Amino acid sequence: MLRMDGFRYAHASSPEEAVALFQSEPQARYLAGGTDLLPDLKHRILSPALVIGIARALPRGAREVDGPGGPEWEIGAGTRLAEVAALPGLAPLPQAASRVASPQIRNMGTLGGNIMLSPRCRYYNQSQEWRTALGGCLRAIGDICHVTNSPKTCVAAQSSDTVPALLVLGARVRLLGPQGSRELPVADLYRFDGMDHLVLSQGELLTHVLVPVPPVGAVARYDKLQRRGSIDFPLLSIATWATFQGDAPDALRIAVGAVSPQPKLIPGLDPFLGQPLDDERIEQIAELVFKRVRPQAALMGDPAWRRSVARVTVRRALQALREEAAA
Amino acid sequence: MADPILLTLRVNGQTQTVAAPPAWTLLEVLRYKLRLIGTKQGCDKGDCGACTVLQDGQPVLSCCVLAATAQDSEITTIEGLPLDLPRAFDDAGAMQCGFCQPGMIVSAHALLEHQAEPDDGQIRQALAGNLCRCTGYTKIIDGVRLASARRVAQGADPARLGPGVSATRPSPGHLAVGGFTRKPDGLGKVLGTIPYADDLSPPGMLHGRILRSPFAHARIKGIDVSAARALPGVRAIMVGTDLPTTYGVIPWTPDENALCIDKVRYVGDGVAAVAADDEETAIRACDLIRVDYEVLPAVLDLDTAESPDAPLVHEQDWKGRPWKDNCCKEVALSFGEVDEGLARADAAVDETWFFEGTTHAAIEPHCAVAEWAPQGRITVWSATQVPHYLHRELAVQLQVPESRVRVIKPAVGAGFGGKSEVFDLELCSAWLARATGRPVKILYTREEVFYAHRGRHPMEMRMQVGAMADGTLTAVDDQVRIDGGAYHSFGMVTTYYAGQLLTGPVHLPTYRFRARRFYTNKPCCGPKRGHGSVQPRFALECALDELSEKLGLDPIELRRKNALVPGTETVNGMAVPSMGFLACLDAVESASGWKERRGKLPFGRGLGIACSMYISGTAYPIQPSKLPQSGVQLQADRSGRITVLCGASDIGQGSDAMLATIVTEETGLPPDDVLVLTGDTALTPVDLGSYSSRVTYMVGLAAQEAARDMRVQMLAALARRWEVSADDLEVAVGHVFLRSEPGRSMATRDVLQLAEEDLGRPLGTSGGYRTRAVGGSYRGGAIGASPAYSATAHIAEVVVDPETGMVEVVKVWVAHDCGKAINPQLVEGQIEGSVYMGVAEAVLEAQLYDSRGLHLGPSLLDYGLPTSVETPEILARIVESMDPGGPYGAKEAGEGPLHPAIPAISNAIHDAVGIRMRRTPFSPERILAALQAQAGARAPAAR
Repeated sequence: MLRMDGFRYAHASSPEEAVALFQSEPQARYLAGGTDLLPDLKHRILSPALVIGIARALPRGAREVDGPGGPEWEIGAGTRLAEVAALPGLAPLPQAASRVASPQIRNMGTLGGNIMLSPRCRYYNQSQEWRTALGGCLRAIGDICHVTNSPKTCVAAQSSDTVPALLVLGARVRLLGPQGSRELPVADLYRFDGMDHLVLSQGELLTHVLVPVPPVGAVARYDKLQRRGSIDFPLLSIATWATFQGDAPDALRIAVGAVSPQPKLIPGLDPFLGQPLDDERIEQIAELVFKRVRPQAALMGDPAWRRSVARVTVRRALQALREEAAA
Repeated sequence: MADPILLTLRVNGQTQTVAAPPAWTLLEVLRYKLRLIGTKQGCDKGDCGACTVLQDGQPVLSCCVLAATAQDSEITTIEGLPLDLPRAFDDAGAMQCGFCQPGMIVSAHALLEHQAEPDDGQIRQALAGNLCRCTGYTKIIDGVRLASARRVAQGADPARLGPGVSATRPSPGHLAVGGFTRKPDGLGKVLGTIPYADDLSPPGMLHGRILRSPFAHARIKGIDVSAARALPGVRAIMVGTDLPTTYGVIPWTPDENALCIDKVRYVGDGVAAVAADDEETAIRACDLIRVDYEVLPAVLDLDTAESPDAPLVHEQDWKGRPWKDNCCKEVALSFGEVDEGLARADAAVDETWFFEGTTHAAIEPHCAVAEWAPQGRITVWSATQVPHYLHRELAVQLQVPESRVRVIKPAVGAGFGGKSEVFDLELCSAWLARATGRPVKILYTREEVFYAHRGRHPMEMRMQVGAMADGTLTAVDDQVRIDGGAYHSFGMVTTYYAGQLLTGPVHLPTYRFRARRFYTNKPCCGPKRGHGSVQPRFALECALDELSEKLGLDPIELRRKNALVPGTETVNGMAVPSMGFLACLDAVESASGWKERRGKLPFGRGLGIACSMYISGTAYPIQPSKLPQSGVQLQADRSGRITVLCGASDIGQGSDAMLATIVTEETGLPPDDVLVLTGDTALTPVDLGSYSSRVTYMVGLAAQEAARDMRVQMLAALARRWEVSADDLEVAVGHVFLRSEPGRSMATRDVLQLAEEDLGRPLGTSGGYRTRAVGGSYRGGAIGASPAYSATAHIAEVVVDPETGMVEVVKVWVAHDCGKAINPQLVEGQIEGSVYMGVAEAVLEAQLYDSRGLHLGPSLLDYGLPTSVETPEILARIVESMDPGGPYGAKEAGEGPLHPAIPAISNAIHDAVGIRMRRTPFSPERILAALQAQAGARAPAAR
C-alpha cells in the first residue's frame, strides 16, 4: 500500500473554521474531494502536519444571484463535479465537468478542487523513491527542471478540465482568507510558475465560483484530448465560446489548458469579431492558437503533436459553434 | 505514526467504531480493521476502481477517501449490496479472475439504481472508472444487461431470479462438455468472500517491505542497516547475502538472487528487506537503510547492448564463467533452402518491425504471506501461477526438505504470465518469517509490479518473405534481436519461441530464423500472454499483407492458399493433428462483410486481417523429469460428493470449472456436488503451472483419466449388483440407468457407495499427463512443440482521423479454433480478454524508460489500460476442429486469440489511410507522422 504518515486531521464545519484551523498550523493542507491531494500524499510529494477536511464546510450547490454585471450563477466550491455536470445552461462548464476523470472521481471531486488542481508533470507526479532516483526536480527536492533542462521555471501543466470553460465564461472566484473575503477573475488566478502557480495567499480558501449567465444564443464547446476515453487528465483542455450576430461572432473566446502552469484565454481574437466566420477566418484563428500554444513535455505526449492537434481541434470546434449558432 | 483517532463509521447499515491513524484511508479501514475484504486494492491512488464503494449511494474510490472524512456517511461495500447483480455476473460469465468485480458491481449497482434499462453506451460510461484486465468488458456488460432485464421483469424484486442466461446445453452425446458449468469459485469471487493473498492476515502477522535500487546499474559497496534496525517496531532486516543461492525459473539459467548481492541491474532491483509491526514502520525503516552504490554505466537499448565495448550487465554467469558480451541466448535454426526460396520468389517483402515491450498489469498486485511452524515447516500463500515451482525453490533457498514446504495458492487476481515464476517477495517473506518466528506479508505497490515486470520482450525483427505470383509462399527469413532486461527469466524459451512458433497456420515451405536475446539494465522481461511469439507474428502477418498488396491478391486468399493441412507437419517438425484455420478465416470473412466492404470503405476507415497458431502446452517441461506434468486425484465420499484434487492454478481462466465439468461428464455427478480443491502443494498432486496454455489440454487429460477410472469402478459395481453387463449401463446427470430399461436407475451417490462397498476402502482414482515426445529431433526441437495447436483469425475495423492520427478500433471479429469448447462461455471469455489485451498492445501500451533507466510511467494512470469506453466491440466465434488427442477434442484458448490483434490493426490502418505501421504502439503521434511523411509534408517528431 502507499501508506501516508505523520499528519493530524481536523474537521472544519464552516469556511471560517477552516481558515482559522489553517492559521493554527504552518504546514496545513485543505482536503476536499481528496482525489488530487491524496495521491500527492501517497507519493510523499507533500507532508503536511495537519490535514483540514473541508468537504462539508464548503458551500455546495448552485443558485442564481444578482452579480455586479448582471445575473450570475453562484456555485459553491464544494459542489461535486458530477453535480456541476448536471447544471442547466452554462455551457461549456457542465460539459467540461462531465469529462473529468471517471464517474467515481466526479462523485468525489469538487469544482473548487478542480480549479485548484496541482500542476502535473511526469517527473513530479511520481513516488518518492522514483523522484529520488531521478535526483529530484526543481519543484521537489532538486534544482533543475527535467522538462526544460534549466533551473529557471517549473513548467508543470495545470490539467483542469473546468478551468478553460470557466475562462471562456468570464467566471470569478470568491476567496476567504484570514483578512476576509475577496473576488478574483479566474483569469487572474494563475501565474506561469509550476511551483507556485496560484496567486492565493497562505490559507486562502476558495468558497464560491461566480459565472455570469451567458446571453441567450451563446454557443460553446469543451474538447478534451486524452489517450483513453476515461480516467485520463487532459493532454489538451480546450474551451470555445461565442455569440453570433448572423454569421459573424460578436464575442469569441478560446481557452487552452494543460499546456502550462497558467491556463489562459487566447488573446488577439478581436479582429475576428463582426466578420463572417468563414472557413478561411476559422483557419486563421486556428493558426493563431497554434502559434500561441506551447505544450511542454511535462505531460506524456509529444508536444509538437499536441500543438498540431490543438489547431485541428479549434478549427473543428469553431465550425461546430458556427453550425450550432445557425441552427 | 500520529496517534490513532477513534472513528465511527456506518458501513452496510451497521455502526462500527475503530481506532486508526488519521492518515488511514477508508479502504485501509474497511480491509484491515473491519475485515471487509471484498473491497480490493489495485493501485491505491485512484487509477483502477478496484476499491470502489458507495458513499451515500454514490460510487467513490475508497483509497482516496480519508477514513476520518467518511464519518457521517452511509458506506456500502460489496458485502452490503443485494445479490442480484453478483448472480447476474456469475450467470453471464462476467467474472474471470474476480479481482475487479466487487468494485465493478458497486458501480453497476449505482447505475441501475438511477437508470433501470441502460444501453451499452451508458453501461460503458458508468463503468469507465473500473479497469478490468481479463474480460475485455464484454461479458461484464452482458451481466449488467442481464441484471437490468431481470429487475425490470421481476418488478425490481431481486429475490425472484430467472434462469441463467447461459442455458447453453451440453453438446449432443455429452453430459456436461459443451454446456454451461458454473464456476465453482465464481460467486465467491464476485461477492468478495473468497480470499486473495492480501486478504489473509494470520495472527501476529508482520509487514515486510523491500528496498529497491534507484540506479539502473551499480555495484553495491556496502549496506548499513543500523539506523533501520534501531527503529521501534522493526523485527528483522535481511540483505542479499542472506539468500546467496542463485535461482531462475529455467534450471539452466539461474542468474538471480532474491536480493542483489554484488550489483543492482535495474531501477527497482531489490537490495534489502524489512519486517516490521506495520507497513508504515517498514517503509520508514527502508528509508533509513543506507546503501553505498558505485554507479556504473547502464545498457538501456539493443544497440548499446550489442556494441563491442558495452558494459556487461552480468560479468559472469551462475557457474562463474565470464560472459563475453550481453547476448545471453542465441538460437539459429534453418529448415530447407531459404535463400533459394527467396531468390526464385516473384515478389518479396523485406522490412523491419519493432514490437515495444508491454507488461501484464493484472489488477491484483503480487502478494505473499509466509508462516513458519516451529517444527520447521514453512507455508507460503502467494498469488502465483506456479505453486509447484515456488515450492521447489523455497526448499532450495531456505535449505529445508521439500516435504516441509507448503505453497497454497489463494484466489489469484490474474497473471497473464506475470506471476509465473518465483519473485523476491515470496523468498523474502519466507526468510523474514523464519527470522522473526511470526507470519510476514509482503504486498507489492503497483509501482513495484511494474519493476517486477517479466512482461513482453521488446523485439526488433527483420523479416523477409517471398512468394510466387500465384501467392504460394517460398521462404521466410526472420532475424530477431530481443531486449531481455536484467535477468534471464524464461529467456531461453522466449528465444526459441521468437522463431519456432511461426510455421503455421500458414505453411512456410522453407524457413530460417536467428534470434538473440540481450541483457539490458531494465526490469526483466518474461512470458506475457503469447510469450515470444506475438512479436514475430506481428511481423509475419504484416509482411503477408504487404505481399498480398504487391501480388494483387486478397490477403485472406493468400492465407487460404498457403494453409497448413491438418495432420501434416510444419517445416520445423511440428506435427499438427488438428487445424481449424480455414474455418476461422471463413467465419471472420463472412461476419465482417470483408468481401463486400474491404477496399471500398471511405478514406479513414479500414479492415485488416491477421491470423495465428499457438501451442496447447509444450513438450518441454521446464524442470526436466520423467514424472507426469500434471496429476489429478478424485476422492468420492459418502455424502455424494467427489472432490477433485489438482495442483492446477485457476488464475481466472476457469480451470477449476473445467475440472468439475470433466467429473460430471464422466461420472454423471451434478456439478454442484463436485468440490474442486486446487493449488495446495500439501494436498494436491503436482501440476507444473498455468502457463503456455497447457492446462485444459494436459490437466484435462489427467482429469479425464481419473474420472473415467471412477466411472469404470462405478459401473462395475452397479453391474455386479444388478447382474448385468457394464456395457448395458448408461450414465446420466444424477443417476445411472439400464439402457434397455430406462426406468431402472440408481442415484449417482448410491452407485458411488456401491463401489466403495465393493472396494472395502475409500474410493479414489488418479490420472496423470505424461509428456509425449513431440517436435523435431534436432536440438531444441521440443521447445515450442506441442501436442496440439489452436488457430485464430482476426478482422479488425478501424477509423483513423487523418488530421490528428488518432485511431479508434471500432470492432474486432475473432474466430478461434479451440478444438472443442468444454465450456463455451469460458472459452468466449478467454477469447474476448485476449483480443482486448492485443488491441491494447497495438494502440496504447508501452513499457518505456528514460536515459537513466527510470520507468516513465509506473502507474495504472500513465501505463494505459483501455477502459470500457474505448475498448472495441469484440465478436467472438468458436470453431471446433475436434483435436484427436485433446480431452473431448479440446485445445487451448487462453493465449492464441491475442496474437492477430496487433497485425490486424496495422493492416486495417493501411486499408484505411495507406500507411504501414511497423512499430508498436500505433500511437497517434506515429500515425500522424507517417501520414505527413506520406504526404511529403514536414512531420512533427514522432515519439
